[in-house]
Amino acid sequence: MKLWQMAGCVLLGIGSVHAQSVDTTSSGAGYVPVISGGMGYVHNVNGGITTLEPQINPILLVPFGSHVLLESRTDFTGFFQRSNGTSGPFTGPFKGKVFKTVEFAQVDWLANTHVIASIGKYILPFGLYGERLQPIWIRNLQDAPITATIGTRTSGAGDGLMLRGVASENSSYSIQYSAYFSARSNINQLQAARTAGGDVSIYLKKPRVEIGTSYQRFLQGNQINSVATYLSWQSSRQPLDVKFEYDHSHNGHGFWLESAYLLSQTPRDLGLLKHLQLVGRVQQFSPLNGGGNGVPRASTQRFDAGLNYYVRDDLRFVSSYGRQFSSLGNANIWNVGFTYRFMIPLWPGRK
Amino acid sequence: MRSGPFRMMSIALIMFGLTAAVGLALQAAPGSQETQTSAKSPPSVQDPGERAFQKNCSRCHLPPMTLSPRITGTVIMHMRTRARLSKQDEQLLLKYLAP
Repeated sequence: MKLWQMAGCVLLGIGSVHAQSVDTTSSGAGYVPVISGGMGYVHNVNGGITTLEPQINPILLVPFGSHVLLESRTDFTGFFQRSNGTSGPFTGPFKGKVFKTVEFAQVDWLANTHVIASIGKYILPFGLYGERLQPIWIRNLQDAPITATIGTRTSGAGDGLMLRGVASENSSYSIQYSAYFSARSNINQLQAARTAGGDVSIYLKKPRVEIGTSYQRFLQGNQINSVATYLSWQSSRQPLDVKFEYDHSHNGHGFWLESAYLLSQTPRDLGLLKHLQLVGRVQQFSPLNGGGNGVPRASTQRFDAGLNYYVRDDLRFVSSYGRQFSSLGNANIWNVGFTYRFMIPLWPGRK
Repeated sequence: MRSGPFRMMSIALIMFGLTAAVGLALQAAPGSQETQTSAKSPPSVQDPGERAFQKNCSRCHLPPMTLSPRITGTVIMHMRTRARLSKQDEQLLLKYLAP
């Protein structure tokens, strides 16, 4: 048995022992180790090139009491294209490989409302997408926004320390913050850049509006700043979810606006149609200083329209059509597939 | 492409308008008296745990229909880190999801 496998078993055991001693008198909640996450398959056609993308993103959660949590997510995504690839005639067999990425592996200390300290590899908190909407079972459209790479160089993750929590809260609003410092690392599966940054947002409880901003200073090579401003609104009167984000960096700037409408929340009886979700998104990006570093080198505009069908809350079929306009070439983008969210306890506990 | 920004803004407004129009049409559609009444006033959520769920979790995803009580504590710890939940909201969610 390999060393890491033994270490995993020891961690699970220790976590489970701690789980038995957690005070759960205030509720019936249990604290056993869990494998959670999402999986899915997306059939993507972008500009006539077909890509098959199966993926699974398991998250290991090992609690030590109710204040310390070890959590790690690994992404396994396959990219399979026809062997005669991008130039055609696109008739060969599908070939490709599965990429494995440890997206985060961190230990959290949930000290109190105001401070949660995380050490290890963590997802960089920048804007709405990377940390919150990226999981396959959450995102309404399977393609990431064009500006998703702004503020998340180089790997989307940081190695170091992150502090976060609720700065202030009352019955009307809640102010949340994140602040981090990441060291440079080239270690396999721990790649990260030397960066520092943070995120602040205010959530207005009555109108259900969140307004936030993120900042990152890239501290190696050409030191650059990246900034995001975002807004999220879930109407209490209409079953509508609207999200907007504007990103700006040395390499370019752009915005995306997404709205989603879930028919199951409508008062009218729509039968099977109640499980449908309508999604729309528009994006625009303009490069600065030649673009690059994950963003296009030419002005790009794109709109997407999606139709998702929720079989259950954890299982859905997804589909979308997008049209991208760019001086490098216009393209139609189609996505069809399914996503599934799972949560599996790794230790017996009370039911 | 010179008129790109204006075209995209137009598309944005049209898509937003269409989505809102679908919502308004469905809200205004004939239905039972009860549903029409509830559609005119914001749904009142009495349970503080459900309010905490709507305030925090619903910003990103749908509520889980089934969540085993034995993993609820662990999952809420994870979400407290991910969504920067307060200790008070954590307690409310625990009581709501695993009473």
